Amino acid sequence: MFHWLEKHPFFFAVGVFLVIAFAGLVEIVPNFVQASRPVIGTAPYSTLELAGRHVYIKNSCNACHSQLIRPFKSETDRYGHYSLSGEYAYDRPFLWGSKRTGPDLMRVGNYRTTDWHENHMKDPAGVVPGSIMPAYRWMFTNKADIDTAYAEQLTVAKVFSTPYNKPVPMKDGSTVTVKMGSNVAEANAMALAEAKVIAADMKGQDVKDAVAAGKIPEIVALIAYLNSLK
Amino acid sequence: MNKIYLWGIIFTAAMLGFTYMSFDFKHGLSDIVNQLAIAGAIALVLISVFVVIKYVRQMQTDTADGQLAAEKWDGIGEYLNELPMGWAIMFFLTMIWGMWYFTIGYPVNAYSQIGEYNEDVRAHDAKFTAQYGSITGDRLVEMGESVFLAECKVCHGLTADGIDGKAANLNKRIEVKSVKYTILNGSNNGLMGMEMPMPDRNGLFNGNSGALITDAEIDAVSAYVANGMTGAGADVFAGTCASCHGEDGKGMEYVAPNVAQFTPALVTNILNHGKKAAIGTMPKFDRLNAKQKEAVGAYITSLSK
Repeated sequence: MFHWLEKHPFFFAVGVFLVIAFAGLVEIVPNFVQASRPVIGTAPYSTLELAGRHVYIKNSCNACHSQLIRPFKSETDRYGHYSLSGEYAYDRPFLWGSKRTGPDLMRVGNYRTTDWHENHMKDPAGVVPGSIMPAYRWMFTNKADIDTAYAEQLTVAKVFSTPYNKPVPMKDGSTVTVKMGSNVAEANAMALAEAKVIAADMKGQDVKDAVAAGKIPEIVALIAYLNSLK
Repeated sequence: MNKIYLWGIIFTAAMLGFTYMSFDFKHGLSDIVNQLAIAGAIALVLISVFVVIKYVRQMQTDTADGQLAAEKWDGIGEYLNELPMGWAIMFFLTMIWGMWYFTIGYPVNAYSQIGEYNEDVRAHDAKFTAQYGSITGDRLVEMGESVFLAECKVCHGLTADGIDGKAANLNKRIEVKSVKYTILNGSNNGLMGMEMPMPDRNGLFNGNSGALITDAEIDAVSAYVANGMTGAGADVFAGTCASCHGEDGKGMEYVAPNVAQFTPALVTNILNHGKKAAIGTMPKFDRLNAKQKEAVGAYITSLSK
């Protein structure tokens, strides 16, 4: 067989390619699969959180804020545990960002609260003296797009088997089940129920009134998303 | 004489000539580096010429012997020679080295980003403990201030005034609004390291009157506590609150927090558990280390003194 290969350089090249490609696959694929599996404690986004994520992307928050904590002492002191690849399993697309004009937001839900975000999005410099972040006042009046968020949920549940309505393991051994509505109306109702919890912690009467009237301002969705970043 | 020897001599002479011409005689051969360089240059030329001549002569004069393999490739044959012993030994040594490298060499010595991070953290923690582990008094307050400016000022403000009510004003222990809210709604912040909640107004009896606490009494005792345990309302406090918070309002360990003044223990508990009350929610800051929490406690305690 080896003599045959030596006489047929083309098939020899194909054989070499196959051997090296196989070695590469055996080395790379298992690690890749392992690293892209969601880590314990990572749950899919709820409808409202996903709508908030769309607000985040729409306003290009990721142009100034990264979502990637590097394993350096100075970073983990400030932002918390360094990021693991499996924590992005339900991020489509991931929002790592490439530049920090503002601080990292990977775990902002651990150390900022609903009312802080409300104050901050209305007037960043009023909360953080010298902040160059602009105010995002329109988020308090624009309505969040729940329908699109629900469409995304349906898609990822179908195409990527994202575990909605299934128990997801948490770090303390318990499980949580992120619910997804079975139709648009139910999804909207669930998002509104979630928005009411957020609005209860907010100060602005306009936002409270809007949520009470069944409308969800973008700020509520965005805060739901930011609070989910842990 | 074979032509190759002649060329060898010419080449050697030429190279030595170049070496001579390029040598800087101003500094002479006094310097050991110069001496080594010149000796190396001469050795290099001589060895190269010797080796080249040896193998060219070998190619010119050697004749082949041994048994040819049956097969030919484009007319080029191959001898069926034994594998030289040196090669065989090197081959097996390489295999042994390969097994060592695969099982021990690489896994044990490989660079790991997380490994470097862990070492970094260990080194930093050791340095922190050595440098700050035992500080007290003013230095502790100073550390607390710098931690405060890094972690707490975004909500409580640079001067800890709570930025117009966006967060608690830490320059005084407690405000009327907060006392009142807690009495009305109760509290279950786990601040004493236990789950025991404070009841809301429907569970608060005034020992003096033997009835549930009234609106007027709530207002009075809220003002009393917020004014630093002075003024009217002392009797309500004594009758209703003192059984848990102590007669002087300084709290009891594992039972109720100090409402008269900040203490490092109280601040540490809030940093560990977070808090939800009249103004809003404060997240927990348990990623600070124990000394930093103690320092923040010392700093906040010093603010209201």
